[in-house]
Amino acid sequence: MEIKDIYCKQTGDHCKYIKHSSGLDIYVCEMNGFSTTEALFGTKYGSINTMFKTKNDKQYTVVPEGIAHFLEHKLFENEDCDAFALYAQTGANANAYTSFDRTCYLFSCSDNYIKSLEILLDFVQKPYFTKETVDKEQGIIGQEIQMCNDNPGWKVLFNMLQGMYHNHPVRIDIAGTIESIAQIDADLLYKCYNTFYNLHNMVLVIAGNVKTDEVLEVADRLLKPCENQELETVFEEEPYEVVKHDVIEHLPVGSPIFNIGIKCRPENGNARIKAEMECMIALNVLADPSTPLYKKMMDDGLINSTFCVEAFTGDGFFSLIFSGESESPERVREYIVNEIESAKINGLDKKMFNTIKKSTYGMMVRISNNPEAVASNLISAYMSGVEPYQSIKILSEMTYDDVQKCLIERFDTNNMTMSVIK
Amino acid sequence: MPVYSRKNIADGIGYTTIIDPKFKTNKIQVMFITELKKETASHNAMAVGIIGTSNSRYKNLSQLTDKLNELYGASINVDISKQADEQILSISISSIHNQYALESEDISNSVLEILMDCIFSPNASNGKFSEEPFNFRKKDHLDSIDAEINNKRNYAVIQTHKEAYKGENSENSAYGTKEDAEAVTPESAFEAYQKILKTAQTEIFFVGPEKDDIIEKIITEKFSKLERMPENLNFISPSPLKKEVSRVEEHLDVKQCKMVLALKSSCQDEYKMKFVNTVLGATAVSKLFINVREKKSLCYYCASAYNFWKQTMFIDCGIEESNIEETEKEILNQINEMKCGNITDEEMNHALLSIKNSLNGVGDTSFSYISWYFNGFIKNNVIDTETAINKYASITKQDLIEAAKTLELDTVYVMKGEEA
Repeated sequence: MEIKDIYCKQTGDHCKYIKHSSGLDIYVCEMNGFSTTEALFGTKYGSINTMFKTKNDKQYTVVPEGIAHFLEHKLFENEDCDAFALYAQTGANANAYTSFDRTCYLFSCSDNYIKSLEILLDFVQKPYFTKETVDKEQGIIGQEIQMCNDNPGWKVLFNMLQGMYHNHPVRIDIAGTIESIAQIDADLLYKCYNTFYNLHNMVLVIAGNVKTDEVLEVADRLLKPCENQELETVFEEEPYEVVKHDVIEHLPVGSPIFNIGIKCRPENGNARIKAEMECMIALNVLADPSTPLYKKMMDDGLINSTFCVEAFTGDGFFSLIFSGESESPERVREYIVNEIESAKINGLDKKMFNTIKKSTYGMMVRISNNPEAVASNLISAYMSGVEPYQSIKILSEMTYDDVQKCLIERFDTNNMTMSVIK
Repeated sequence: MPVYSRKNIADGIGYTTIIDPKFKTNKIQVMFITELKKETASHNAMAVGIIGTSNSRYKNLSQLTDKLNELYGASINVDISKQADEQILSISISSIHNQYALESEDISNSVLEILMDCIFSPNASNGKFSEEPFNFRKKDHLDSIDAEINNKRNYAVIQTHKEAYKGENSENSAYGTKEDAEAVTPESAFEAYQKILKTAQTEIFFVGPEKDDIIEKIITEKFSKLERMPENLNFISPSPLKKEVSRVEEHLDVKQCKMVLALKSSCQDEYKMKFVNTVLGATAVSKLFINVREKKSLCYYCASAYNFWKQTMFIDCGIEESNIEETEKEILNQINEMKCGNITDEEMNHALLSIKNSLNGVGDTSFSYISWYFNGFIKNNVIDTETAINKYASITKQDLIEAAKTLELDTVYVMKGEEA
C-alpha cells in the first residue's frame, strides 16, 4: 500500500492519496471544523461505455444503452435487503448517480461515518440480480425516462448532442430508451458489473469530518482484492463534422430555450483538462456578463440572465456550449459567430483575459469551501485521469497566448449545432 | 468553535454575525421581509432584482460583473421567495477571504462598498430607476415567470399552492403575476423600493472566518440612518381546511403525469409534524417511498414536505395516467396507517437518525447557518441544533399518532397529457 500527500500550492489545500493493496485508489481529505462527512465510491463506467473488452475477451462486447444507469439502480438491492434500509440505521443521506463517464454511490452524514462507509463498501461489492427484480426495475426506470422527456432543459441538450455526434454514445440519454432497457437482463448486468466494478477501475473519495487511518482500517477489512482485468473501452469512429446544424422540437416552455454547441476534437488526461480550462477562459472572455457581446445581446433583447457557457468534455467527446432562452436563437448564434471570428483576427481582450483568470481562481477557492464540493472535485480529477488540484495549477500557468491559440484551433464556427425547444 | 451573535442596529433591523474559522469566504446577506401581496409582489421583486445588478457607480450588469471579476469573482445574488404569507427579498455578496488574494488586495472592504452602493445608492435619479437596469430586469423577471412551466414538478407544486391557499397571501407567487409585472414602471419599482427600506423587517447576516469590525461599523452606520416605520409580520398563519376537497386537473403536452396532494393540519407543534413528515415521506425508507414507489411500483418519485408556517403538507409524485387513482388511494392509506398507530419503533428510530443527521450538518455552509438562524429569529426562538435534536428525541409514538390524526385532505392537483 502506498500513501502520498498531495498539496495545492495555490490554496494550501491538501489530501492523501492511497494506492490500496486491493487495487483501489483512495483519496482522503481531512477538513477540520466540519461536521459532515462526504463519501463517494465510483467506477469509471458511464452511459457512454457500451463497447468494451477485458484481457480475457477476444472480441468487444456491445451492450444496450442505459445499462450503466440500470445497474446503478439494481445495485442498491442486495439479496436480503435494500442499501437504503441499511443506511437508515446510521441516519446517513445516501444516493447514487450515473453520468456519461461514471457511476458513483455516495453518502453524506454528520455521525456514524465508519458504519456508513462499511455499508457503502459492502453493498457496492455485492451484486444481486434476478429476473423478477430486473423486470420490476424496468417500470421504475421507464418512468424516469418519461420524466426526462418532459424536461426541456434535458431535451435541448440531447437534441444538440444528436445533431452533433454521428456515432459516439454521448448522443444517447444516460437512462437509455424504453426499447433499449427492455433488452437488459440479469446476465448482462452481471457481465457489466464484473467488468467495470473491478477495484482497479474504481475510486473511493472521502472528505470532511474523517480520519485517514479509520478509513484505511475499514478498507483493509472490506475491500476484496481483485485481479486487474486490463479493461479497454472503445467507441465507433466519430467524424469531425457535426451531423446537422439545426434541430428544433416543440414542447411546452415559456421562452424558447437553446443550446448552441461547437464540436471540437476530443482529448484525454492532462491535455483534456488543459484544453477544457483554456476553452472555459476563452468562452468567458467572449461571453461573460461583463463582455461587450453579452451586453449587446442583452441590450437587443436577445438573451436574459439564464445565458451561460460551458465546456462539455469526456472520453471521446469535447464541445463548447452557449445556452439560454431567446425568442431569436438564430440571431444569438449570429452574434456569437461574429464575436468568435473577430477575436480570431483581432485577438481576445487582454485586460478581460486577466480579469477572467483572476475571477476563475476566486471561484475555484470559493467552491472548495465544504466537504461535498471537495469530494466532488477529487472524484472529477480521478475520472479525468489527472491528479487533484491540477485545474488550479493549470490555471495559474495559463498565458494569454495559450488561450488565443486555443480559440483559433478549437472554436470552429463551421462545425456548430444549434438545438431549440419552442 | 463558531461564534453567533445578533443585535438590533435600528428599528426592525437586526445584524447577526456567525464567525467560523473553517470558512475561506465571507458572505453578507441582507433580507427584507414584507407582506406578500398580489399588488406589490412584482414591484418588490423587480426592485430588489435591479439593485442586485447595478448601482450608481457600476451602472449595469456588465460594469458590475467586470468589477466583481476583478475582486476574484465575488458574486452578488438576489433571491426572491415566500415564507408563510410573507415575501422574503434577499441580496447577498460572497467573496474569498483576504488571505487568498494573490496580490494582498482588500477584497472584504471592496465588496462591502459595492453592496452598500447597491442598497443605498442604486442606479436611479428623479424618483425612478434608470431605464437600462430596469429594462434588463423586467425582461428577466417576465421570462422567469414564463419559465415556471419548464420544470413540470415545480410547476405542479406552484399550481397546488394557488389552489390550496386560495384567498390567502400565500396563494401568490413571490414573483407576482405576469400581468402585474408587466405594469411595473421605473417609477413604481423605485417607489416600492423606498417603501421596502422604510417598512420591511430587515435581517442582515455576516458569515466569515473572522470578525470584521469595519464591516459591522459601516453596516450599522448605513442602516441606522434610514427613516423607519417597520411593519408587523405574522409568520404563523395556518391555512384553513376547505369544506370539500378541491380537485384541479390540467392538461399539458407531457409524457409523465404529476399529482400533488395538499393536506392541512391543526397541530401547532412543529417538531411533531416534521417528525410525522419524515416517517411518512421525507426519506428513502419512508412509508411513501417503500410502499408507493418500491412495493407497488406506482411512480418514480413520491415524497412529502411539511410547511410549518401554513400547517400544510404537500405530497407530490410522478406517475402514469392509469395509476393516478390507485396512487392517491395508496398515499392516503399510508397516512391512515399512521393515524391508526401502525408506526414501528424502527421507523421512528430511522426518522430520528435522519433528522439528527441533517441538524448536525447545519454550519457546514454559510447558507445553512443563515437559514437556521433566520428561521429561529422569525419564530422568535433561536435555539442551537442540539436543543432541537433533544426536542425531536422526546417525541413518542403516541405523539406522532395524534399529530398524524390532524392531517386532512384539502386539495388534489393532477397534470395529465393532452386529451386526444
